[in-house]
Amino acid sequence: MEALKNAFDFSDQPRLDMTIAGAVGTLFLIFPLLPLSAFALATMIQFFIFSLYGMGWNTIGGYGGQVDLGKAQYVGIGAYTTAVLLIRWDIPFWFSMPIGVVFAVTWSFIIGYPLFRLKGHYFAIATIATSLVLKDLFEVWEFVGAARGLEISPIEYVPPDFLRLIFKEDIYYYYVIFVFFLAGLLFLNWFRKSRLGYQLRAIKDNEDVARSLGINVHWAKIKTYAIATAYVSVVGSFHACYIKAIEPEDTMSLDISILIALMAMLGGAGSLWGPIIGAGILIPLKSYLKEWLGGMSGLAGMDLILYAVIIMVISAKEPRGVWGIVERIRRRKRT
Amino acid sequence: MALLEVDNLVKDFGGLRANDGISFQLEPGELLGLIGPNGAGKTTLFNCIAGKHPVTSGKIVFDGEDITALRAPEVARRGLARTFQVYAASGDLTVRENVMVGCFMRTPSRRKAGEKADTILADLNLMAAADQHVSELPVAAQKKVTMATALGTQPKLLLLDEVAAGLNPGEIEEIMASIRHIHHQLGVTVILIEHVMELVMRTSDRLIVLDYGRKIAEGLPDEIARDPQVIKAYLGDRYVKEHGGEVG
Repeated sequence: MEALKNAFDFSDQPRLDMTIAGAVGTLFLIFPLLPLSAFALATMIQFFIFSLYGMGWNTIGGYGGQVDLGKAQYVGIGAYTTAVLLIRWDIPFWFSMPIGVVFAVTWSFIIGYPLFRLKGHYFAIATIATSLVLKDLFEVWEFVGAARGLEISPIEYVPPDFLRLIFKEDIYYYYVIFVFFLAGLLFLNWFRKSRLGYQLRAIKDNEDVARSLGINVHWAKIKTYAIATAYVSVVGSFHACYIKAIEPEDTMSLDISILIALMAMLGGAGSLWGPIIGAGILIPLKSYLKEWLGGMSGLAGMDLILYAVIIMVISAKEPRGVWGIVERIRRRKRT
Repeated sequence: MALLEVDNLVKDFGGLRANDGISFQLEPGELLGLIGPNGAGKTTLFNCIAGKHPVTSGKIVFDGEDITALRAPEVARRGLARTFQVYAASGDLTVRENVMVGCFMRTPSRRKAGEKADTILADLNLMAAADQHVSELPVAAQKKVTMATALGTQPKLLLLDEVAAGLNPGEIEEIMASIRHIHHQLGVTVILIEHVMELVMRTSDRLIVLDYGRKIAEGLPDEIARDPQVIKAYLGDRYVKEHGGEVG
């Protein structure tokens, strides 16, 4: 009960922020009804997907300060579990999604246990390595279609199949992921004020002090990593139903991992709204850049160059991202 | 029964013996001062007792239980808290939230942790700063926040590592008042590492002096002040020869 109350309690947020959040939320709610292109709707769905990845990343990477560059492996586990179960045994999304979470979290324990003995850059590099190894395994594993990947065959599920999450129109996907987005936000709001959330922030600051306050640092990181994993895996499952064709190269690539971390850092790691802001900036930018520059093959790598520039600017100017700038302005006004 | 018993504790760092056969006992309710020149091994002793460093040999018994092999979080859960010399407090969290991190050791409930934190903040006169970020506070208040955070774990014994370092006389008075409050009103047993002599002499019931990793003296504050070995440790051989062993 108390946990539920805390999830809905935004009273520590400034009123202005909550007004803006409410306005933006209302806009999200009516967005598909606006006379906009299908491309805009698809971009919005991508925005929600990456916001949720970013929220997951933010638990361990932002609040916990453990820079994780291997989130794509959990996208893959979630997506593949749902796709395989649906294709082979016609098991619907709502069953395959939790099974995917179990697989992903189990895997997160297996690699988290040794990996959290590492610190700083070594941890970041190790997460990249495990993610790449898993991707390589999937690329040669015939059961999951190896490098060709899997395709959810275009069975005519009409009317909309809410059980399998197979829809013809994107508007259904939009509202399903929007509900996930709200749930993810509420969970993050609970998490940041939970015992684990506070303990994690103490760990980020100073592990020796955290230990002296009775915190099992290693276990707290592993638990949080499992939470981050669950977020990513759930959305990975959704991604499989939405995209309907998955292959290791685009679900589990390093690009995805980096984009997730980058977005959260750009928006503001360790803040409630940071990952959403980051996704709100980068996803439309990425989509529209691709759309505009897609024809010009010489400019294919533009988005990567852009990421590089963003990384440099964040690390040099404002390590706390866009949200850090907002807070700085606010603090200056107060004094 | 003694609250803390340290028996023949040895701690080596490679070839360096930082603590060399230290033994002492601490009764419940005492306020023990731990002094000695820089590098005498005071903080190392704290780190060994609090489980940050594994000991090389010796035995530590806390509240009737052998805690020699326990790591820091387990030691903390048994009621032995500490502060750190250099660490101020988390800059990311507000004062109340910092103290709550300590309180969360005893309760998973945010509401209960918040209430407990408020009690402690009121006790240490920090209530006015509760919603400020620690980095915005003056150093003296930051030091008090670290004490409040440690108190959040509801310890029987609190190890304070140089809480008065770098403070001006007015601030030292304030810190002393807080320590006395923790000791008398809250009934917490305290060991105090301190370089500010005036503070240790006036506050402690008893003193232990370390030099080069060994315990060289133990006794009441005014006995210690006259102890030739202690004077030698602080002021050197020549001073003792010239002044006949009395502190001027």
